[in-house]
Amino acid sequence: MPDGAFFAFLVVDGALAGAIYALVALAFVVVYKASRMINFAVGEWTMVGSRTAAAAGQVLGTGLAGALVTACVAMIGLALLFNRVVLRPLSQRSLLSLIMVTIGVGIFMRGAATVVFAGLPVRIVSPFPADPLVVGGLPVAVDKIAAAAIAAATIAALSWFFHGSRTGLALRAVASDQQVALAVGIDLQRHFAITWALVGVLSVLAGTLWSFASGGGFGIELLGFKVFPIVILGGLDSLPGTIIAAFAVGILESVVAGYIDPIVGGGFSHVASYLVLIATLFVRPWGLFGRPDVERV
Amino acid sequence: MGGLEGTPHLLEIRDLHVSYGRIRALQGVSLTVPPAGIVALIGANGAGKSTLLRAISGVVRARQGSVSFLGEELVGLPVHQIARRRLIHVPEGRGMLARMTVLENLRLGGLAARDRRDAAADLKRAFALFPALHTRRSQLAGSLSGGEQQMLAIGRAMMARPRLLMLDEPSLGLAPLLVREIFRIIPQLAGEGTAVLLVEQNARMALQCAAHAYVLQTGRVVLSGPAADLLAAPEVQRAYLGTG
Repeated sequence: MPDGAFFAFLVVDGALAGAIYALVALAFVVVYKASRMINFAVGEWTMVGSRTAAAAGQVLGTGLAGALVTACVAMIGLALLFNRVVLRPLSQRSLLSLIMVTIGVGIFMRGAATVVFAGLPVRIVSPFPADPLVVGGLPVAVDKIAAAAIAAATIAALSWFFHGSRTGLALRAVASDQQVALAVGIDLQRHFAITWALVGVLSVLAGTLWSFASGGGFGIELLGFKVFPIVILGGLDSLPGTIIAAFAVGILESVVAGYIDPIVGGGFSHVASYLVLIATLFVRPWGLFGRPDVERV
Repeated sequence: MGGLEGTPHLLEIRDLHVSYGRIRALQGVSLTVPPAGIVALIGANGAGKSTLLRAISGVVRARQGSVSFLGEELVGLPVHQIARRRLIHVPEGRGMLARMTVLENLRLGGLAARDRRDAAADLKRAFALFPALHTRRSQLAGSLSGGEQQMLAIGRAMMARPRLLMLDEPSLGLAPLLVREIFRIIPQLAGEGTAVLLVEQNARMALQCAAHAYVLQTGRVVLSGPAADLLAAPEVQRAYLGTG
């Protein structure tokens, strides 16, 4: 493959991964925006979402769509339960204790998943053809294109939801000022619940798409670690910033994996985004798209 | 409390006490607001006017006493539930979402009205009331001037079709021309059937447009009556109007 084509291949491949990163990152950002809570377990939520879909497909014998719908319902239930039973009683506590709780819940989810899903398939087998499509001389995996397309459609739907619906408008009001939201008659608890329901749906979609695209590569819960550079680059509270940063990190990883990993013997692509993260924190602590006063309370 | 006996009250406050720590901000306030017209609440800085509005809208919790709205007790209800009863509080400082557009801020106001079919008509009415908001509808609320923000705050409150509109210092920090504009709008709203409870430091303008008024001093109602009578009362003129 000529140099230019190889670079283009890496960029396309990275962008396709970036679309899925964006979904996971959005699951993180919606929670952060609504309640300033940092969900360290976002990778575990994604893992449980994908395994629930795989289990639903196996147990119920439904096709992909049936498995996804069933898993979404189950994960919405789990997310609402988590919000009601764990988060709400702690709502008067410090944010730090909430953050610690998410770490604990993440560890619990990993442990529980091995028991609950014992003997069930780890992932849904991709329904898309295995042979790569050749676009302009570049081989691109159909799995990845399909996964990225679904991710993009989900992002578009989410963006409409936040900007075009009454509930989305209310969620954005909750995110910008809870006192004002209350004063116009918005029920905060109800909207926290809606936020977590979104996390449930995004977990299923992101987890399943990632299992298509990665071919079950690294442990899916590690997807959570990809999210932190993305959301910090994106500025934590900016949805468009998050999406752009997700693509940037996906492409960065891919390009680094293509050019630098062979030289250093592999693995550097996983570190690269963190190096960019550290550099960003030195220059613009509020991220590339965030606002300097993001930490006001 | 001359003149209001026998009329059914929209809002009836009895013996309301509010404390901030050891500071007793309200010490047994009682007042009533009829279903239509303007009631003014005047008094010096720190007299407890804003606290009273906050206690009515549930932002601060009353220690003792009752706030009855259409016969229903409000003390203890959460803030959003009170707003859903279309008792709308426009706080001092206006409570805008600075990073959302004028249009989005107005739409938010309509969330309390429940009936989404009327939202378009309400929006039209708000723009008719404040044409400047229509021109700036796509601008971020934070980029508006102080006067425009006050208009947006009132416009947003009107989107909820309030049964009672509580305005806290709507003229604060505005240029005289805008103050007059605001005081032209408030009687217009009342004329269209919205009851208004108006807190103002600008006692003269408040008394001129209100039907009834209360004077608050260190957390107590010290004087009340028809606004025209208070406007003529020597003690009011001396303390709040700077004349007499």
